[in-house]
Amino acid sequence: MYADNKTVFNMLNGERNEKADQMHQLFLELGVNFASGVPCGVLKYIIKNLDGDARILHVPANRESEAIGLAVGAYLAGKTPVIYMQNSGLFAASNDIASLLVPYEIPIFFTVSYRGCEGEDAIQHLITGRATEALLKSFGLPFVVFKEHNLNTLIGSMFEKMRKIKLPTFLLLKRGWQR
Amino acid sequence: MKRKEAIETIMTTINPKDMVVSTTGLISREIFEKFDSNRNIYVPGSMGLASSIGLGLAVSCPKKRVVVIDGDASLLMNLGSIVTIGNKQPENLLHIVIDNNAYGSCSEEKSMSNSAHLDKLAIGVGYRYVQTISSQEDLRCAILMFSKGPGFILVKIKLGGRRDFRRPLKLTEIKDRFMLSLHQL
Repeated sequence: MYADNKTVFNMLNGERNEKADQMHQLFLELGVNFASGVPCGVLKYIIKNLDGDARILHVPANRESEAIGLAVGAYLAGKTPVIYMQNSGLFAASNDIASLLVPYEIPIFFTVSYRGCEGEDAIQHLITGRATEALLKSFGLPFVVFKEHNLNTLIGSMFEKMRKIKLPTFLLLKRGWQR
Repeated sequence: MKRKEAIETIMTTINPKDMVVSTTGLISREIFEKFDSNRNIYVPGSMGLASSIGLGLAVSCPKKRVVVIDGDASLLMNLGSIVTIGNKQPENLLHIVIDNNAYGSCSEEKSMSNSAHLDKLAIGVGYRYVQTISSQEDLRCAILMFSKGPGFILVKIKLGGRRDFRRPLKLTEIKDRFMLSLHQL
């Protein structure tokens, strides 16, 4: 669909987002060629890029657990998958992370929107928001809450570590992360 | 037909080059003990995900055939998966559901498959080849006749059978040999 790797991607309603484009470019450079997940508005530019790129096989899921299964199949077939979801989905799929990805040592990069943080206006996110980092810590899995990081360095180093330790790895993105 | 005969028929009828993904509990444990092979992936936890893993494999390796050996209760636990399979239309995916209308690996508590019409659901979501069978001979024929998927074979079995199979434990070895064999098949 795109002519070359240098092309910028995002064209959601005519809008583009520089950070999401940069992240997409990094994904391509790191060999990502499969994506699955369940959407969240916070991730809209990332998802649009994954969906609109013919170099990435994008299979959306109905539920977060399913996305994990799909990504495992792709990984076993030699692909490099990424998964996207809201942090609420981490809880819905926590057993699949713990009982499939960890014992099989399957490294998958998760892009997770982090709802329920300071300034949250939706009450249903508050408990999972408070428990998100604790969940990942209790599973012993690496994660980074995106702040003022340099995306190039951050995503590169997260992939490098993930491939070394062979564990799923999580990038948590709060609302407004792309600004 | 019980689980033993269903598994024997499936594992001796499918193509030796097919990749096999089997579901949680006694189905995986029986296959692991009697028909272990480099081309098998067992799903000991994360009940329900065998068909999702199978779909991920099938769309990623369109030239190879993937056989998912599921159970009725595991399918019901991740029922949305058949919608995704119907949506993606993988021609190389054969989804076999061994249906004992129970959580056979627990204490045979009833599942809801008796009222679910899983075969009709499979047709409704877009599987192209759907068979419901209850004898070994029909199962063998249904597998041999499968040519273009997504395919769905509902295998009605009776409860009971051996339970003392060993468990697949060395999962990273199972993964590594599977990935290696995929390049050789």
